Amino acid sequence: MATLVRSVARNLMRKNLSPASTLHSHATSFGFKDVAEEDKSKMVGNVFTSVASNYDLMNDLMSGGLHRLWKDRLVSKLNPFPGMKHLDVAGGTGDVAFRILENIKNVKHRAIQDVLDDDLIEDTRIYVCDINPNMLGVGKKRAEERGFGRDKSLVWVEGDAEALSFEDNSMDGYTIAFGIRNVTHIERVLAEAYRVLKRGGRFLCLELSHVDIPVYKDLYDVYSFSVIPAVGELVTGDRESYQYLVESVRRFPPQEQFAKMIAEAGFQKVEYENLVGGVVAIHSALKF
Amino acid sequence: MYRSAAKMLLPAFYRRRHQDTISHIRTLASTRFMTSAPTGYIPDQNPIPPSSNPTDTSSSWKEEERTRHQDEKSSSRTKRPKAHYKDEEARVLSASLLHVIRLGWTETAMIAGARDVGVSPSIVGSFPRKEAALVEYFMDECLERLIDIIESREDLKNLIPSERVAKLVRLRLEMQTPYISKWAQALSIQAQPLNVPTSFKQRAMLVDEIWHAVGDDANDIDWYVKRTVLGGIYSTTELYMLTDSSPDFRDTWAFLDARTKDAFDLKKTAQEAQRLAEAVGAGMGGSLQGFMKRVFTG
Repeated sequence: MATLVRSVARNLMRKNLSPASTLHSHATSFGFKDVAEEDKSKMVGNVFTSVASNYDLMNDLMSGGLHRLWKDRLVSKLNPFPGMKHLDVAGGTGDVAFRILENIKNVKHRAIQDVLDDDLIEDTRIYVCDINPNMLGVGKKRAEERGFGRDKSLVWVEGDAEALSFEDNSMDGYTIAFGIRNVTHIERVLAEAYRVLKRGGRFLCLELSHVDIPVYKDLYDVYSFSVIPAVGELVTGDRESYQYLVESVRRFPPQEQFAKMIAEAGFQKVEYENLVGGVVAIHSALKF
Repeated sequence: MYRSAAKMLLPAFYRRRHQDTISHIRTLASTRFMTSAPTGYIPDQNPIPPSSNPTDTSSSWKEEERTRHQDEKSSSRTKRPKAHYKDEEARVLSASLLHVIRLGWTETAMIAGARDVGVSPSIVGSFPRKEAALVEYFMDECLERLIDIIESREDLKNLIPSERVAKLVRLRLEMQTPYISKWAQALSIQAQPLNVPTSFKQRAMLVDEIWHAVGDDANDIDWYVKRTVLGGIYSTTELYMLTDSSPDFRDTWAFLDARTKDAFDLKKTAQEAQRLAEAVGAGMGGSLQGFMKRVFTG
């Protein structure tokens, strides 16, 4: 039912927008709408500026708290180690970065036998890069609350995932959680990730993805197209942003295709793991 | 690389393919050694190949050396033939083995190994079962070394089967002596439920390799019995070794010889029992047949 509504809606949108999309040869998508490339980042920026303050609350409401487990899973797959140089892109609120830092401090306790760790833990750097200063603001505030305020391992950087300000071969790990869906050029982000990673460095991407299980898929569609925008409107008073969110998930390439894109960027050992039947997927890859 | 469990269940089929599989393993091993050799043995500051002997090997050395030089000069962004991640993983693991004595079969040892070969320690996270990968790599290495020994050592061929089995088990176990203080840890890693399938396969391959070296071509029920018995001997000797404090593990080897002898004696007893059973079976079968005939005709 929801699928039907959606496809009708999409067809209508296509029809209305087709002259516009032929005008702009470099059209990209903003949810189901086709927009000019140069507009997308501005529109995405507006979305996140408007939701920044309620971001965590909404994440909890929408995922039923599951997003915490997904991020835990991401970090456990990353397997952080003392002395690591890590880049977390689109991680403005610091959710992933705090988890990595806590994990490294735990690892330190486990590996007391290695004396080197004491010096190494000082060298640990986790760069949190986000294009949106409002989201970074939220993260910095939370770092203070969590007692990481003066930890020099955390570095907050305002920057674009498509043009990173970091040197080649400088990072051990790269994570992007719920971010790559919002960028204009996925290939450029992947190329940048490949550039900044060291040999043996790992790329990990946590992203809302595609559900393929028959009945479950329909339930999920009803939930995301009817419930999420309504809840979004209730909590933040901004229905559009959450409408964008669910539509952008549908526009994002499916697991296999995204894995292929990662491999085309030069990565090896590309793997993905579906969580909750594909609601989210963690893609991982290795640079050599 | 491993022979699948299905093949283990089909001895006859498996036996036929055995020759192919072995040669396959051998090629894998040699490619791996070739790729790791230049970094392992040639120091960076002295890249002069032995050009005085214009043999094939030296020219290929030169070629590798040249590409390596180009790699060092150019940054990784320029197009160069990319190393396959499997080769790099093998390099990391073999470097990690050097840290095992100090740090144990742990992620810490693997991180140290990765640092040694100039690969980001991040790679450790990409091994799905972490330290199990290290133990399994070591097991594979040892098996390859054992196969080489079986092929190259002539004196082994003159021994009688029971002695040959004992000698091969001993040769294999001696490869573990440098790590004996940490070997209990390796065994506990192998015994974890997730790692059991692989460690079981590796042990099965090892035992099979030893029987093959002894020249055993059986493909009946005996096949399972022989492998189970030798697997038992190997594992108990391995455990005995953990607590053996005698010089050069003398007690372990005495234990091993005794167990092997027992097994071969048992084999003879078993064969006699089998013959007896066959004879009894034939007798029973005859009377049963007669009985059935009487039932149907009557």
